[in-house]
Amino acid sequence: MNLEEFVSTHELCERYRVEQTFIRSLSDSGLIEVVEISHKKYIHCDKLTEFEKMRRLHYDLEINVEGLEAIHHLLKQVKQLQKKNRQLRNRLNLYE
Amino acid sequence: MEFIDYYKILELDRSATQADIKKAYRRLARKLHPDLNPNDKDAQARFQQINEAHEVLSDPEKRKKYDQYGKDWKHAEQFENAQRQQNTQGGGFQGGFGGGFGGGDQGSYSGSFDDDTFSEFFEQMFGGGRGSTRGSRQSHYKGQDFNAELQLNLRDVYTSQKQTLTVNGRNIRLTIPAGVEHGQTIKIKGHGGPGVQGGPKGDLYLTFNIINNTPFKREKENLFKTEEIDLYTALLGGEITTETFNGKVKLIVKPETQTGTKIKLRGKGFPKYKKVDQFGDLFITYQVVMPTNLSEKEKQLFKELQKLRS
Repeated sequence: MNLEEFVSTHELCERYRVEQTFIRSLSDSGLIEVVEISHKKYIHCDKLTEFEKMRRLHYDLEINVEGLEAIHHLLKQVKQLQKKNRQLRNRLNLYE
Repeated sequence: MEFIDYYKILELDRSATQADIKKAYRRLARKLHPDLNPNDKDAQARFQQINEAHEVLSDPEKRKKYDQYGKDWKHAEQFENAQRQQNTQGGGFQGGFGGGFGGGDQGSYSGSFDDDTFSEFFEQMFGGGRGSTRGSRQSHYKGQDFNAELQLNLRDVYTSQKQTLTVNGRNIRLTIPAGVEHGQTIKIKGHGGPGVQGGPKGDLYLTFNIINNTPFKREKENLFKTEEIDLYTALLGGEITTETFNGKVKLIVKPETQTGTKIKLRGKGFPKYKKVDQFGDLFITYQVVMPTNLSEKEKQLFKELQKLRS
């Protein structure tokens, strides 16, 4: 496992000025995967964008973790529908 | 650039209190936040507007300036400078805003207020950066994500190709994988706006607008084409040559082929996205073209054929 691909939750807290409890809540609700390496907790770099999004929604819009869960679920559906919509539009071109 | 009514943007009247402004901003931010409206350019543009409106109206000093200068807000600083200068020189400022401030040292703003410089209001009038919607927590923050659209021809995306794009004055070299679809968006990491105070750069989201000026229709990796065949080839069978995306191929037309008959040319379709050397199929639909301008002899022969059938 390449540690360079991970950011410690400690660093995240300092860098983004968030509390450990926030990261723990995200992890507990399955929104962000936290891994433990040598007794330290990390998140993978690829998950940073998602983490930042959750952070923005939580701190900017004051949405609680339950709300984030619902948003996460609905956004996933929106993206799937947008993809489907694009594919159908492209398919529609066959008949136009 | 047209006057931007920040009160209207926040759906407030001019007597709104700070609490009203905060409440309105919060309500609209929850509705229009880009994270909640993926791929919605209108929402993103409106979110930018409500941020700017909030930035100004939530700051009593900025709000006062905005209220004072109204539709001429974009020249506020210049106006103040000009007024100061006029006062220093002993003369009153009488020209108003009509003539502009194009000359001398005060010309630095001229021509910069187009639609893309909405934010310059803050940067130039109030001296700060864009500010943030995120308050003090935005330090060490990821840069802004950029969205761009790239128009390509269908033939361009048949093969992977390198393109150089200029985004915000920076050249970005990227390889566009063959088989990319119309409307598809790809993320190019780290090519967005600079991070805030050492934060990582934002990402560039590139949406492809693919123009199809070929006789082929496309659905994902499959291509579709209509091929006309003459009556006699359709009836008696024969050989025709057809264009595929990567060259001509010969087709054997079976006798008694009907209009609408479909054949599949395996692997002659479009490349599968991000799958090396894998291609979709080409579907050809035959359309039988009836002869026109028949000669007397042809008519006579067709009548004989008709008799044979009846």
